[in-house]
Amino acid sequence: MRNTAGRNSAQWVLLVAVFIIATCGLIYELVAGTLASYLLGDSVTQFSIIIGVYLFSMGIGSYLSRFFNDHLLEWFIRIELLVGLVGGFSAILLFLVFPLAFSFQPVLYALVGVTGILVGIEIPLLLRILKDKVEFAELVSRVFTYDYIGALLASLIFPLIFVPYLGLIRTSLFFGLLNVGVGLYLCRYFAGEVRGVTAIRFGGILILIAEVAAFIFSEQIMSFSETLAYNDHVVYSTSTPYQRIVITKNKHDLRLYLNNNLQFSSADEYRYHEALVHPAMTAAAEPRHVLILGGGDGLAAREILKYKSVRNIQLVDLDPGMTKLFTGQDILAEINRHSLKDPRVTVTNADAFIWLKENKKQFDCVIIDFPDPSGFSVGKLYTTAFYRLLKTAMTPQAVAVVQSTSPYVAPKSFWCVNETLKASGFQTIPYHNYVPSFGEWGYVMALQSGAYQLPDTFAIEKKYISQAVMEQMLQFPNDMLAHEPLEVNKLNNQALVNYFEKEWSKFLDQ
Amino acid sequence: MKRGKFIRLTTGMAVAAPLLHACGEPKRGTAVPGRIVGSSAAAGHLLRDHTFNPPATFEAKEVVIIGAGVSGLSAARHLVQRGVKDIIVLDLEEQPGGNAASGGNAFSKYPWGAHYVPVPNNNLTEYLSFLEEARVITGYDQAGLPVYDEFYVCHDPEERLYINGHWQEGLVPNFGLNAAELAEFKQFFVLIDHFKKLKGSDGLDAFSIPVDTSSRDESLRALDRVTMKGWMDSQQLTSEYIRWYVDYCTRDDFGTPYDMVSAWAGIHYFASRKGKGANAAHNDVLTWEQGNGFLIEALRKNLGGKIVTGALATSVKGSGDSVRISYLDVASRRLQGLEARHCIVAVPQFVAARLLGDTERKNAVTDHFHYVPWMVANLTVRDLHERGGQPASWDNVIYGSASLGYVDATHQQLQQRKDRRNLTYYLPLTHTSPEAARKEAYGTEHAFWAEKVLSDLQRVHPDIREQTDRIDIMLWGHAMVQPRPGMVHGEARKSLSESIGGTIHFAHTDLAGVSIFEEGFYQGLKAARKILQQT
Repeated sequence: MRNTAGRNSAQWVLLVAVFIIATCGLIYELVAGTLASYLLGDSVTQFSIIIGVYLFSMGIGSYLSRFFNDHLLEWFIRIELLVGLVGGFSAILLFLVFPLAFSFQPVLYALVGVTGILVGIEIPLLLRILKDKVEFAELVSRVFTYDYIGALLASLIFPLIFVPYLGLIRTSLFFGLLNVGVGLYLCRYFAGEVRGVTAIRFGGILILIAEVAAFIFSEQIMSFSETLAYNDHVVYSTSTPYQRIVITKNKHDLRLYLNNNLQFSSADEYRYHEALVHPAMTAAAEPRHVLILGGGDGLAAREILKYKSVRNIQLVDLDPGMTKLFTGQDILAEINRHSLKDPRVTVTNADAFIWLKENKKQFDCVIIDFPDPSGFSVGKLYTTAFYRLLKTAMTPQAVAVVQSTSPYVAPKSFWCVNETLKASGFQTIPYHNYVPSFGEWGYVMALQSGAYQLPDTFAIEKKYISQAVMEQMLQFPNDMLAHEPLEVNKLNNQALVNYFEKEWSKFLDQ
Repeated sequence: MKRGKFIRLTTGMAVAAPLLHACGEPKRGTAVPGRIVGSSAAAGHLLRDHTFNPPATFEAKEVVIIGAGVSGLSAARHLVQRGVKDIIVLDLEEQPGGNAASGGNAFSKYPWGAHYVPVPNNNLTEYLSFLEEARVITGYDQAGLPVYDEFYVCHDPEERLYINGHWQEGLVPNFGLNAAELAEFKQFFVLIDHFKKLKGSDGLDAFSIPVDTSSRDESLRALDRVTMKGWMDSQQLTSEYIRWYVDYCTRDDFGTPYDMVSAWAGIHYFASRKGKGANAAHNDVLTWEQGNGFLIEALRKNLGGKIVTGALATSVKGSGDSVRISYLDVASRRLQGLEARHCIVAVPQFVAARLLGDTERKNAVTDHFHYVPWMVANLTVRDLHERGGQPASWDNVIYGSASLGYVDATHQQLQQRKDRRNLTYYLPLTHTSPEAARKEAYGTEHAFWAEKVLSDLQRVHPDIREQTDRIDIMLWGHAMVQPRPGMVHGEARKSLSESIGGTIHFAHTDLAGVSIFEEGFYQGLKAARKILQQT
């Protein structure tokens, strides 16, 4: 046995352990509450339930502590390590489980419950370990003082330091490491008093290594959880200076996301691209020179190459990352049927506005497939200034078409594009169709002159479009109309961006 | 949606980190590179420290114009267009332009001074035809309204103000104001609207451009005897916000705080803009990467070979029906002589008086003309962290700052992605008397100014220090004349505007009392017309 001084310092070591346990315990609770608020929304409910479950579980733990009769110190250390394991990995586990929506809440409450129970066992155990060493009144006073100070510390450092600097995954791992560290220290300190110390120590070190590794690779774990969130397997993802490109695949389809916005699903993209390309190509009559602005996926080019009259296609896309991907990657090039490698196609990576300003060529048909006007930068590509430049790049009989977002979700935005093209001197033919992965989608055809005539036939290989379908696409039901006079989108008012932002945020908030 | 919300929230937390960091110790030893540009003062010292042989010969010219700012170039342009081609324009700086000077780097051009013009009043025929010549106006619509080139009308989002922890749209404060404070703005703009439409007893517009075409009605002239603050007090416009706003505006246009500026000039700023275009309204502005440097290029388009830079005029002497002008060619350090039928002195009056060696004139200028110094900085920045509210705009102003905020020179660029932006930051040095501020400014080093700019902008862009590649500084010792009470409707400006002996003429915005592009343009035009009348 140690002497009195040793006994005294042993007592302090254990009290510091209480302090750390209390801090860590509350941190795990806060991690769970924060995560639940982020992922599920309604932070009041999430925090209430989690605090309730946590405190109740501590009660269960305290009750269970009566069944521990021997080797209290060993149990204390084992539980300490266990808390470190469960708590440390809790954030990672929750992130990974979240995409599997059906099982998230049970896992969440189970984790909070287990952590609560383990922490709940520890305090009574400690009281019993120390009861012969310290007078009871003093013991209770000290243990609980440290317990509650730990709680205060946790609630301050969590929002102010840990979340901003480390993020949730690293925060929970950090405190897991702290728990395990305490466990291992206790092993060493009480080596003489603890039986089976080697096994416990071995287990502790294993957990320690696992958590350090997870701490280092937390970025990768995060992005792995991202892949799960797309419900599909991410086959490719990259960040170019312009955007984040993610390609996912499941057994039904392959999908392209740019900055988390779905660009196409291989299952139904033909509906979009046939509707985008063929009305304009047919209206343009024997087009020889075609311009594609945007459309770096090569799918519009694929459709255009079906026309025998086409001599060349000039494709202008901002992002070399996109066009390279859709030229060189086999799975993707199969979808666009290697259109970007076709000798008739010239790919130029340039900013469309700048390119158009410097362009001197004229085209018979222009396909404009830009991202939706969700910000002031891209909004410029939908202005009168842009469309007037476009006019100079078109032959007198040429036809252009502009993808114009959803007339169902954003009717004002859609009709604003129509108005803007009209104000820029075009005759317009607005139309829309249904693309299952997008919903109702809209396009505006812009004619230099002459009346639009419905074509008798679409004499190319197709899955979707026909004269009857085209006739239908020209009909707009009442719920896709703007119902108010609209502003023309100009560089100095960016009216479209305002319409778009309001309409889509309203839709997404539903 | 849940996912989207989550991503937004975590992004919010990621940006909280640098924010916390910004509250801590300022970083040391990370000086942003750059220099103080423009060193015309050195040429001035050359004159002070050396004596030069007087010019041996005087080259004959029809017209000599001293000063290649807006006034001088406007005069030269008009003369050349009317067939007077034997002219020469002298300027001390290496680049013509005066206050509309500009610079540039690999990412864009940028202004060193004036950076925009408002949509012009439609009665300014000569100015409109100049803008047509510069292809700023592309034609006229059926109603006869000018059609402005869309690339030159300031793009949206145009202006934002950082106020009460938030970027609001527009510069008129509204975010976080109570009903009484908002009502004051309403009242203020009702008053302004009244002045806009008001005509004096002489039938002229109360507030017009150029200022000399405004009504001389006594009741309006009375406004030139009080300060803007005095007038606001009399109208019970007293909230902190409206005072700030008006003070911001008068510092912005005149480099003069609202408690020093004439109420007439202050109201003129708000009530004289009545222009309307087919595709632009009176509150729209025309702007370019290089600011008004664009208009300078247009003014000097047909002046090839007629502008001599690095030429410091030293004296102007009229004798009978000719004028002798001496100037120092800074590069060769030699005095050159010119003899002209006419001379247009298109420099500020304190310089003009020195050139003429006229003590009486010098005294008049010292008594009545006060020139405010400015500091202008150009920052080359990478992506900046943004506080909430309206996204980065053309004009970005911080409520309560001593500065006027910054203008994004790359704003009119059309491309989707900009690797760097050039921000032009303006600071009129009005914290003390112009003389003291000037002395202080010339004695201060680059690092001091850079720190001043960064610590101001740090409030709205916490990562500005890390994200700034370079800061260059320009110090304008006598940036513009201050329209203090008595300036516009006083006698000094009138008597100093008068030609001497029918051969020496004056053209400068300080003679108008307000330093705006149109005044410079018409000052030049008026001087040129005086010459044309005689030939």
